[in-house]
Amino acid sequence: MEIAPWELWVRSTWLHAFVVHHEPWVWPLCETLHYLGLSLLLGTVGLFDLRVLGVAKGITPRAIHRLVPWGVAGYAVNVLTGIVFFSGHPDQYFYNDAFRFKALFMVVAGINILLFYSTSMFEDMKSLAPGARAGLLVKLVAGTSLSMWVAVLVCGRLLTFFRPPFFH
Amino acid sequence: MDPFLAYIESSALSEWIRGSESMFAFPAIITLHTIGMGFLAGGSAAIDLRVLGFAPGISLKSMARVLPVLWLAFVVNAASGTLLLIAYPTKALTNPIFYIKLCLIALAIGLVYRIGRTVLRAPDAEQKALARRARMLALASLAAWVALITAGRLLAYTHTWELLGVRAIT
Repeated sequence: MEIAPWELWVRSTWLHAFVVHHEPWVWPLCETLHYLGLSLLLGTVGLFDLRVLGVAKGITPRAIHRLVPWGVAGYAVNVLTGIVFFSGHPDQYFYNDAFRFKALFMVVAGINILLFYSTSMFEDMKSLAPGARAGLLVKLVAGTSLSMWVAVLVCGRLLTFFRPPFFH
Repeated sequence: MDPFLAYIESSALSEWIRGSESMFAFPAIITLHTIGMGFLAGGSAAIDLRVLGFAPGISLKSMARVLPVLWLAFVVNAASGTLLLIAYPTKALTNPIFYIKLCLIALAIGLVYRIGRTVLRAPDAEQKALARRARMLALASLAAWVALITAGRLLAYTHTWELLGVRAIT
């Protein structure tokens, strides 16, 4: 198969050369960071989602929301390490159905985040007292967030089982 | 050949997890192991961050309500981890890093238990007297999770045997 122009460009970058040349340590290091990042994301944003859904209701949603920046930091680590992976072997990701679904679920998670913070839902959440039930709409958004991030993880984990049959 | 490893490796369950084309075999098990890791390590880290003084609006007592989520994740990971061990006993048990990982699991889980009992659920939990010791426990817990996840990840790169008699390609 002909190599597409975008892939030729990725393979011409400094980052691609660096990753391929230093793969024996860059890959395990970035994978470890990727796993630490996903743990931070699920452990903070995921926990917030669970509270909104009614788990550990004694926690004030507004208070546990203060941990969300840590999840954002974890996500940032994963975007950066993800770029490293993609630069190293672009064909293994782009022509992989698991990667395409992973990207789709991240877009849905992103739209869901915009929906939450740009509407009155965010203020409604902040006014919730300890023990209070969240409204249905907020629960729906939290449920979407939780399921999308788990789906992103599942697709990421399954990447290796859906690799394209060729290697550029 | 080690008869114990041979016995596990030749069992029907081991062969099914390793050899089945089904996504419910190896792929699903390792995915569950990763989901469990995310909630267990991440949830524990969230507790540690609270103990270290971030998100002070969460009362320590209410943070203890998160513990059942962590124990559920631990059960998922103990079960999925056992299945992965049954699938590749030689690969794991001939790798020194696997034993380091087991020790780190004991340490990290022990710290979750201790932080739960002596920090979150302590009768005088919100008092300052606890702070220094509690912070040390929280830092130790964070370090244990980083080390544990690193060890787990390294298992994929450091094994010298794949199966009985089959050397790793690495």
